[in-house]
Amino acid sequence: MEPKLRVENLSVWYQRQPALKHVTLSVEEGEVLALIGPSGCGKSTFLRTLNRLSEEQVGVRVSGSIMLGDLDIQESHVDVTQIRRRVGMVFQAPNPFPFSIFDNVAYGPRLQGVADPGTLRKIVEQSLRQAALWDEVRGKLRRPALALSGGQQQRLCIARALAVNPEVLLMDEPTASLDPLSTAKIEELVGALRGQYTIVMVTHNLRQAARISDRTAFFLDGALVEVGPTRQIFTAPQDNRTEQYLTGRFES
Amino acid sequence: MSTPSVTDRMPRRTAGLAAGLFALVGIILVASLAAGAWPMLGAPRAAANLIGAVWDPLRGRYGVAPFVVGTAAVTLTALVIAVPIALGVAVSIVHQVGALGRGGILRVLTVLTAVPSVIFGWWGLQMVVPWVRAHVGGPGFSLLAAGIVLALMILPTLSLFFAQALSKVPNTLKEGSAALGATPDQTLLRVELPFAMPALVNGLVVGLARALGETMAVQMVVGGQTAIPAGLAAPGATLTTQIFTDMTAFPPGTAGHAVLDIMALLLLAAMYVLVRTAERWGSR
Repeated sequence: MEPKLRVENLSVWYQRQPALKHVTLSVEEGEVLALIGPSGCGKSTFLRTLNRLSEEQVGVRVSGSIMLGDLDIQESHVDVTQIRRRVGMVFQAPNPFPFSIFDNVAYGPRLQGVADPGTLRKIVEQSLRQAALWDEVRGKLRRPALALSGGQQQRLCIARALAVNPEVLLMDEPTASLDPLSTAKIEELVGALRGQYTIVMVTHNLRQAARISDRTAFFLDGALVEVGPTRQIFTAPQDNRTEQYLTGRFES
Repeated sequence: MSTPSVTDRMPRRTAGLAAGLFALVGIILVASLAAGAWPMLGAPRAAANLIGAVWDPLRGRYGVAPFVVGTAAVTLTALVIAVPIALGVAVSIVHQVGALGRGGILRVLTVLTAVPSVIFGWWGLQMVVPWVRAHVGGPGFSLLAAGIVLALMILPTLSLFFAQALSKVPNTLKEGSAALGATPDQTLLRVELPFAMPALVNGLVVGLARALGETMAVQMVVGGQTAIPAGLAAPGATLTTQIFTDMTAFPPGTAGHAVLDIMALLLLAAMYVLVRTAERWGSR
């Protein structure tokens, strides 16, 4: 089967500083791919080029190709807003808008011109159910999103991303700022979304990568060291550096 | 716990003293205005006289309505012109220009806020008054001319406040919006402006207060007519310019002087309401 995302020879520079060097990597449809590696290894940069969010920063240069289906999203004629509707993103810290719960989830559909209240209500309910938040917020949709707990806010952000019906979901350390219980809920949620969405997730938590991903990619100094089935990466890594990283972390 | 030494307590005491003095000066100011206004307020049919539209001190008619109308018209004109432009400037500063251009523009705007109002008035006299005369009609000296001059005067202040407000919008929210497929314009209208609204209103009130209180620049181009103005292109007067014009004509103790005190109190009351409004919005 055709991979959902096919990244070929991707390099990224910040000003003159290389952040990503010749990365070639495919993501299969419906899988959960975890990106691991030490801080500054380029995994977040990689994630942010997949929806072209990296280009919002000044001085960023990208080369190589990223195929989403049969569309090269790097090409200049491609509408970046279209890309971002197909490739959703959840950020490190929950970043709900200072609006109501309802308006947060309805934000994406409204951008696309959905104005019918009935349709919006349906999308909002469905997205909140998918993000396992519906039971906690039903009947309170007019309350401000910022009144929710951190974990609830992050699930709201997931619901907000799902509301535009993306094909790929990028998650940049989505549990980094959450307590263990909220983290468990998010992990459970990712498990439930597997298969339905293609998920690429950066994580610093190796146990998390081991628990919820189908495949794992290890980045070091802006290069992809190896990628493979999670089980194999964690039990029998091919590359010495992967093993060093994994064992170093487990011992500390 | 040992008691603080005398030198430790000095800064607090000095600060407290300064604050107390400041409050005292404010109270004395208001009290002296009120005392000056008192004879007029106690006069027969004072309210009807003051609210009236006729300003004719020689016959004892002290209607301040022409000046209230003039102040409102000039201030509103200035805001209607300046606010959209200032918003545009602010958006450009935050989004369009690079870090280098941003620094330059901010510096120029800061310098412009320090230009004395008499220079804006002088410029208005040479450029705006003839322009109004040629393109709108009338003598040129008018509420409209004053509004345009004021708009230019408050534009740097408004732009700086608006830019400050917009730059406070967290990057995470802008990225969150962009990641959902929002165009930059959509992010501006739907996330940045709503988020920045309290700070924007705060800046608006500061600009408004400056316009409301400005005397010199307005006096030079407004025409000084004391009747209710027939339109924007007609000459008129504001509360501040009328105080300025008549302060030498009415010595203390006369009824006219008392009316000027009342006008000053009116201005202070308006400012107070503005500041409270700003605080309300700013703290939201």
